[in-house]
Amino acid sequence: MALTVLERLSTSPTRLLPSQNDSLPPQDGAQCPKTTLDLPKRAPALPKRLLTSPTWRPPSQKDSRPPQDGAQRLPPPSPPWRPEAPSRLFRRGARRGPFPSKMAAAATFLPLTPGARDPGSGRRRPRGSRNRKKGWKRWAGPEARLGREIGDFLEDVALQQHLKLNKGREKPLRIDLLLRPDSKVPAPKNILAYQVPNGGKERRRRQFWERLEQRGVLPRAERLLRARLRAAAPPREKPLEKGLLDPSRDFYDIWADDNPLDRALAGQDSWFLQETKKQRVKRPPRLQKKPSEVPAVEVIAPGGSYNPTFEDHQETAFREQCEGLLEESGGEEEEEEKEEEEEGGEDPQDPPKVAVAPPRPGKKTEQQRRREKEARALRRRQEAARCRGRQELFRLRALRRQLRRWEAERLRRRQAREAKLRALQGRPRRLGRLKYEDPSLEVQLSEELAESLRTLKPEGSVVHDRFKSLQKRSLIEPRERAKFKRKYRVKYVEKRAFREVT
Amino acid sequence: MGGLEKRKYERGSATNYITRNRARKKLQLSLADFRRLCILKGIYPHEPRHKKKVNKGSTAPRTFYLLKDIKFLLHEPIVNKFREYKIFVRKLRKAYGKSEWGTAERLKDNKPSYKLDHIVKERYPTFVDALRDLDDALSMCFLFSTFPRTGKCHVQTIQLCRRLAVEFLNYVVASRSLRKVFLSIKGIYYQAEVLGQPVTWITPYAFAHDHPTDVDYRVMATFTEFYTTLLGFVNFRLYHSLNLHYPPKVRRQSVPALGGFPLRACLLRLLGLLLQKLSALSASLVRVVAPAQEDEVEMDEFPVEGETAEQLDARRKEQEALEKHKKLFEGLRFFLNREVPREPLAFIIRCFGGQVSWDKSLCIGATYDVSDPSITHQIVDRPRVEQQVVGRYYLQPQWVFDSVNAKLCLPVADYFPGVLLPPHLSPFVTEQEGDYIPPEKLKLLAMQRGEEPGEESEEDEEEEEEEEDDNDNEEEEEEEDSEKEEEMKLKKMEEQKTQSNKALPVKVTAGKVRLEDKQRLEQEQQNEEKRLAIMMMKKKEKYLYKKIMFGKKRKIREVNKLAAKRKAHDDAIKEEKKKNKKARRA
Repeated sequence: MALTVLERLSTSPTRLLPSQNDSLPPQDGAQCPKTTLDLPKRAPALPKRLLTSPTWRPPSQKDSRPPQDGAQRLPPPSPPWRPEAPSRLFRRGARRGPFPSKMAAAATFLPLTPGARDPGSGRRRPRGSRNRKKGWKRWAGPEARLGREIGDFLEDVALQQHLKLNKGREKPLRIDLLLRPDSKVPAPKNILAYQVPNGGKERRRRQFWERLEQRGVLPRAERLLRARLRAAAPPREKPLEKGLLDPSRDFYDIWADDNPLDRALAGQDSWFLQETKKQRVKRPPRLQKKPSEVPAVEVIAPGGSYNPTFEDHQETAFREQCEGLLEESGGEEEEEEKEEEEEGGEDPQDPPKVAVAPPRPGKKTEQQRRREKEARALRRRQEAARCRGRQELFRLRALRRQLRRWEAERLRRRQAREAKLRALQGRPRRLGRLKYEDPSLEVQLSEELAESLRTLKPEGSVVHDRFKSLQKRSLIEPRERAKFKRKYRVKYVEKRAFREVT
Repeated sequence: MGGLEKRKYERGSATNYITRNRARKKLQLSLADFRRLCILKGIYPHEPRHKKKVNKGSTAPRTFYLLKDIKFLLHEPIVNKFREYKIFVRKLRKAYGKSEWGTAERLKDNKPSYKLDHIVKERYPTFVDALRDLDDALSMCFLFSTFPRTGKCHVQTIQLCRRLAVEFLNYVVASRSLRKVFLSIKGIYYQAEVLGQPVTWITPYAFAHDHPTDVDYRVMATFTEFYTTLLGFVNFRLYHSLNLHYPPKVRRQSVPALGGFPLRACLLRLLGLLLQKLSALSASLVRVVAPAQEDEVEMDEFPVEGETAEQLDARRKEQEALEKHKKLFEGLRFFLNREVPREPLAFIIRCFGGQVSWDKSLCIGATYDVSDPSITHQIVDRPRVEQQVVGRYYLQPQWVFDSVNAKLCLPVADYFPGVLLPPHLSPFVTEQEGDYIPPEKLKLLAMQRGEEPGEESEEDEEEEEEEEDDNDNEEEEEEEDSEKEEEMKLKKMEEQKTQSNKALPVKVTAGKVRLEDKQRLEQEQQNEEKRLAIMMMKKKEKYLYKKIMFGKKRKIREVNKLAAKRKAHDDAIKEEKKKNKKARRA
């Protein structure tokens, strides 16, 4: 292949190319030996470049044949014509000017003397290897230029020929017309819209089957289908989901003596059932007790009525205000409340309440504690020693007094402990990271209160109330919704379109 | 000695508790499944007394369970079902991922499901246990039945909740066990007495719907899952206790033509229709055994030991009052306009024996028309009613609720359309002695005692109160004369105010004057005795006594404060009214 192209090149009308190819290397050699060394290797690659260059079209089959006659081949056979080709050619021609003249100019500049330098190669040295497409494209060596020029030339020739063919005619060629994008010839209609393919055949077949059907003969597919329908049981209805959620599930008397739950195990040996793990494990009695005594449904205060009395409403509203203040001030009033509670002890049976010891200003240090302990131990030892010295008999009264004091002290402690436990009983337990917090008090301001039931705007929600009640009774631990955490920070970039708009 | 040495945290409370995560791992369940299991089985976290010991020295806040509870959970067959379900989901996902539709269908047909019947039996060994825990179940079911059928939970759950709630309402209607209703700004509170157990529940208003985001709906759905099962069994038992069919049947049921639908669709439609009819609450239920005769059965009386005749009498009276309360609306025919909440009103009216109907286009189950001449009460919630029919009261809906709470049909004049309504009092509040009682409630109490809402009764009451107060307060009189005077003033003011409120002619009872001398003598003697007793008291007792008295006095002061406030408010309103009147006249 390479050979043939080279051959063609040698017979091309310019006649300059072969000489260039032949003469250049030895002349160049003195100055840049590298290129000279490369050149023979490069030479066979040239046709490839020619082939891949955009302007070069692969020669048709005729082309590849050995040349018959140089003069005949000069106008290359018209390549497969592309409709957009002419315009492009014209443009290029206009910019660069006709090929032959340029070739001539190039010919005049071609250095034939040994010391002369190729102007093209001098301007830009070939850089890098050309074993890749990129390298090839960048390459501006003499062969590349040659290839491009040849391509241009061939295009030009084709154009000339085309012009020649069109000469003397006003109308462009029909083929051009046809292939023009705005063809005058209308697009063919949708045939399928007018005629059915195989229409006649189908109709005849249908008629045939109709006739057969009248006689009672069915097509095979139909026959099989009917047979299957007849043979198979009625299609299985999708079973009702017999789980929990089935809205139409049935119930029975679970507390009766012969309920279905126990019926399965009734009359069997309990030892056998136990060993085969069929008998249910008894629920420990400890679980029958609820964690909190708070009622399941706490009725809202009378101030929460949709049409409350003045006092009730005032009270509730006032309480809410207080709560707001408390939150702001950070619990200053709690102490007052405590005092009031102290005062208001009413029940005579109630033992005098043990004042909760105020927290000491500072904790004792380890050392202090140790010293106190030692001192206590010493005192005890001394006491014991003293006692041993005396006769116990004469201390009877003192002993009794001491005993009484101890007993009283024990009673007091027990009562205090019980009181503390009782106080803790009603309070929601601390079950996790978060503490239970009372829901905000629901109250409507005086102007929000509805005139009638129709205009009532409900405050607060029952969903929330139920959920909080579960938490208050320590049935579930207070939780907060898991926060969505992004793994990476989001970068904000101003898009160009956005910038244009603003 | 003998035995291995125990290290720290190998005995005592550290071994009694287990953290949530360890429990979860022990049961091989995911956290969500573990939570569900705990809720279903009624096992709740514990707060250990010594957290640091239990937490092995760490003070990090953790959730603890009792180890024994978790060991008990290990025996639960549902744990296996949870695991199966997990595997089912995995398989299904795989089938979908591989586009094996046939496999997916097959898997879905064999979806593992579980029932909670045995857990209900285990947690509530007797029926009464279940009744005691009904508050929660009812509130949850009523709440879930009002959820929209989008997203938050399964549609089937909502349907089941609706069905069970409606069944329960029908039971309450049939057994006439409703006692109290309270319209609050949050929802409607009901209290019924089911087989001697008070059952309280709350229902949201039908038109209020916001879904708060800080509520864990999964947890709520799990509770509901269990409570639906419980409520189903309770309903069954309750229906049978009244000899009613369960699932309920409605009388006069006409089956509409349902030709052309497949069997299942037919069934579903019928069920839906039945539910609608039930929820209309207008038809009575079919009994298993037709009631032979509605005769009054005289209850046999078994005097309880140690019960005096007075107590017996009181009990009988109570019983009679209850019977009367149950038949509060008997013989009345109501008609509900379309702007009033139909379901609560229909429910309440039917609970007390009234007949009720509504517009035919409003809901299924309307029994008579607006134009029916036999209607006695029409419930209206509009400022004005055009075209009033003679022979019936037009009333605001609050009348029904207030009448139920007052246990008598209240005078209708306060409840005409467009009239400023009297306050709706909470029936769940019971005043102790010495508490402040709003004048509206006083009036109500008087009416309940069968007296005309007039001056007399209140005066008596107040006098009585005063006397009591006097007795209590006399001791401190010496010290706090000024305060006493103030209180007296306030008392008088209140008296005047109540008098002015009523504006009825004052009646003077004749007997009092004669009695006064004796009374005073008696009183003086009593006071003397009391004073002496106090003098004889020990120091400790005296201290206590003073404390009690102080508490009582403070209460009275508060009551008076409230009364004064009320008076100021009433005055302000009165003045405003006067001004308005003047303005209108001018």
